Amino acid sequence: MPLTEPVLLVLLSLAEQPRHGYSILKDVERMSGGRVKLSTGTLYGALHRLLDDAWIERIEEDESPRDRRPYRLTSRGRRNLQLEIERMRHLTKLAALRVARKEA
Amino acid sequence: MLTFYRWLLYLYPSLCRREYADEMVSVFHDAQADLSARRFGGRLSFRIRETWGLLAGAVQEHIRIIGGRYQLISFTRFNMRPEFRFPRSTVFLMSIIFGGVILAMEKANTIQVKYAAGSGSIWPSLPWFLGFTLLFTCAAAMAGWGILFALGRTGAHRLANIQPCPNSPD
Repeated sequence: MPLTEPVLLVLLSLAEQPRHGYSILKDVERMSGGRVKLSTGTLYGALHRLLDDAWIERIEEDESPRDRRPYRLTSRGRRNLQLEIERMRHLTKLAALRVARKEA
Repeated sequence: MLTFYRWLLYLYPSLCRREYADEMVSVFHDAQADLSARRFGGRLSFRIRETWGLLAGAVQEHIRIIGGRYQLISFTRFNMRPEFRFPRSTVFLMSIIFGGVILAMEKANTIQVKYAAGSGSIWPSLPWFLGFTLLFTCAAAMAGWGILFALGRTGAHRLANIQPCPNSPD
């Protein structure tokens, strides 16, 4: 099933390095050039679903406060993200071919 | 706005709130601090986005619960615990069952009137039935509360906190 844009951006943000909530929020905004601004409700809804599906996990650190716990991608999440990127790559390639053929 | 935000968080299921509320408040606090230099329009759009996000998020979380991601009713609430809490889900389920019973009685009444015209209804009228049910519910609640109060007086709930004696042979 294709991922929604916010979920894809959250996964891409975590693919680089583990991040906590606010860091993900800012990174998503930066990645999308300010176009996608997630609310905290949307962000934690996505994180909750991803945690449930074991695509991401919390890093339990003794020194990190309870309200600033970092998340990271699991191997399952990384694999699914790669599949999604592959699907999108195939789709854009196909779209480019079709559009080029029509223009010619 | 932070107070309003905390208040809106109460729309989330308690399980979800317990797990994420602290983090969400912290992230919201940081995001709000970023806005101080922005114009009124930016601040307004941030507030609308956050309010809408929370409302939509709360609805989604409730739908996930109904969909069965969580254990719908906690059966461990009535186990021996130092304090007694009445689960809110029970009130909700009882209301649904009550509504179902009323609907079924109304339906039965309609069928009886339709197929046995002239013989009169064997059911009491709805206002009488509602009044009687309300009285019966109050009486049952009082009895239940009395039993729980009596249990509390006996100290039975403290059994859960009993620690083994350090000097005992086993």
